[in-house]
Amino acid sequence: MQTFLQLLITALQIGSVYVLFSLGLTLIFGVMRVVNFAHGHFFTISALLVSLIAPRVIDAGHSVVFSYLVAVAAGLVVTQLLAYVSYRYALRYFLRDMEGAFILTMGMSLLLDGVLLDVFGGTVRSVPEIISGNISVFGVLVTIQRMVLFFAAASVTVMLYWVMSATRIGKALRAVASDHEAAMLQGVPYTRLAMLGFMMAAVLAAVAGALIAPVTIVSPFIGADYLMKGFIAVVLGGLGSIPGAIVGALLIGLIESVGGYYFDSSTATLAIFGLVILVLLVWPKGVLGRG
Amino acid sequence: MANLHIPRWLLGMALVLLATLFAKNAYTVSIINLMATAALVAASMRFVMLIGETSFASAAFVGVGAYGAGVATTLLQWPFWMAMLIGPLVATVLSILFGVITLRVKGPYFMLIGFAFAEAARIIFSKTALIGGTSGMVGIFPPRELDAWLPSFVTLVVLLFLFLLYALEKSDFGKVLVAIRDNENIAKTVGINVLFFKVACFAIASFCAGMVGSLHAFVNNVISPGDFGYLLASFALAYVKVGGEGSLFGAVGGALILVVLGSFALGLGAGEQLFYGGAIVAAILLMPNGLHGVVLGLRQKYLRRERGAASQGVR
Repeated sequence: MQTFLQLLITALQIGSVYVLFSLGLTLIFGVMRVVNFAHGHFFTISALLVSLIAPRVIDAGHSVVFSYLVAVAAGLVVTQLLAYVSYRYALRYFLRDMEGAFILTMGMSLLLDGVLLDVFGGTVRSVPEIISGNISVFGVLVTIQRMVLFFAAASVTVMLYWVMSATRIGKALRAVASDHEAAMLQGVPYTRLAMLGFMMAAVLAAVAGALIAPVTIVSPFIGADYLMKGFIAVVLGGLGSIPGAIVGALLIGLIESVGGYYFDSSTATLAIFGLVILVLLVWPKGVLGRG
Repeated sequence: MANLHIPRWLLGMALVLLATLFAKNAYTVSIINLMATAALVAASMRFVMLIGETSFASAAFVGVGAYGAGVATTLLQWPFWMAMLIGPLVATVLSILFGVITLRVKGPYFMLIGFAFAEAARIIFSKTALIGGTSGMVGIFPPRELDAWLPSFVTLVVLLFLFLLYALEKSDFGKVLVAIRDNENIAKTVGINVLFFKVACFAIASFCAGMVGSLHAFVNNVISPGDFGYLLASFALAYVKVGGEGSLFGAVGGALILVVLGSFALGLGAGEQLFYGGAIVAAILLMPNGLHGVVLGLRQKYLRRERGAASQGVR
């Protein structure tokens, strides 16, 4: 029972970050009908900036939490700028062009890989502990930092869910995702919404990157692994489906935590891959997919 | 039967092979080998694009081809010819299994699963102790009498496969593939077994990908799991996109140009990823149909000017 709870809590922690990551991918797919190969780089850049800036601000004599927040803000600003530039000057011409956009974003991701390696170097960094101490949840010891991570990710997810289901913008985004021509006939400005969707997805990736930075080792390659898991999560759940992305990501978190405990992490990755093949045999469009 | 331009192909192959015979220093030889394998991997990638899919799984099949050659040569001590063919054959069998399941889905799903498959294969390569784990395999040598002719041999094999892919594309089989890409449902209504043709196309392309791996192994003598990540498929895609997917020659041309420019850029100290990434982004933004599209456009402009000049002459 103890082990089970421990694994479940780990699964929720890993899964919550995957959720943020996959939500961005699925949002972009829903609105723009493209797969963003460079999504991992928004995540990576944010994590790298946090690991670079937070220690410097701490050294300048500020409190740890304040330094962390400053670094997160910097990460958000930089990734938003990058998202704007890549949408305005490139992706805009590839709306609903699956293959073109995929190749474009793949080129962007290679380019960004090169830039990140040049700027940050290949060395790994770590962020000092933001909040220290442990907490006992149903008899399982968890670091407070990881609990905060989980609640932050969960509240961002809930917030996105609320935006998508209750606000005007969310309704417009969903309308565009289900039939963009009908939505345009109703006066929904498609291209502006596509950009909004892309920027929101970049925010989600940046938040995920900033959250993961303090609890892991940050390197310029950290995004690739998340990108693969994110892809699998959205394929499992169904591309374009928001509940699907959440379910898929949590499932991957669960497999990773259980598989990582009883076997090792690469076996867990292989198990995840096997699961995708099985799911596709039964539901070719993902568990909750329509697209 | 479509005109396959066989005399032109023979002439072209003869010229290319003649050129490879002059390569004597190690650097030129390595560039020729790289160009040849890049051309075939690009052609293989483009062959799958005939049915409108992008196959990231190809990276895994290149890996299977290379490890097949490695296992057969170093562990089983098979003769060269068998060792060269076993990898591609295994890759073909695997691709049929993979294709039958995954080619039921299209577009993004197929692409993303291929991506995951390539990564899973890389993990399997690096976790299997028998084939050297993360450090890979060494000592995959071609027979000694082939040593001096290796670049010409590799080029010959690649040219033969390029011709095979060209002939297949021009045949009725190739036309069915393009029909499937253009509209799968219409193909279905005239009684074409769409899944069968898709899997067949994928299997042929994967055999070529396996061949690339096998040649790669014999050329480099050393292979490691890192050589066969999804980055390999990304580079292949870059060759096709920069060259233009409209024609086989576009894809091959893209491969040749990027390999030459890439090795030049590496000599200048620029990162490989920076170079290929920049090439892809620039190519897709500036020339949507690749170099092939640019050449077609120029030719059309030239023809129009000719025609204009001719009609003026009449007047």
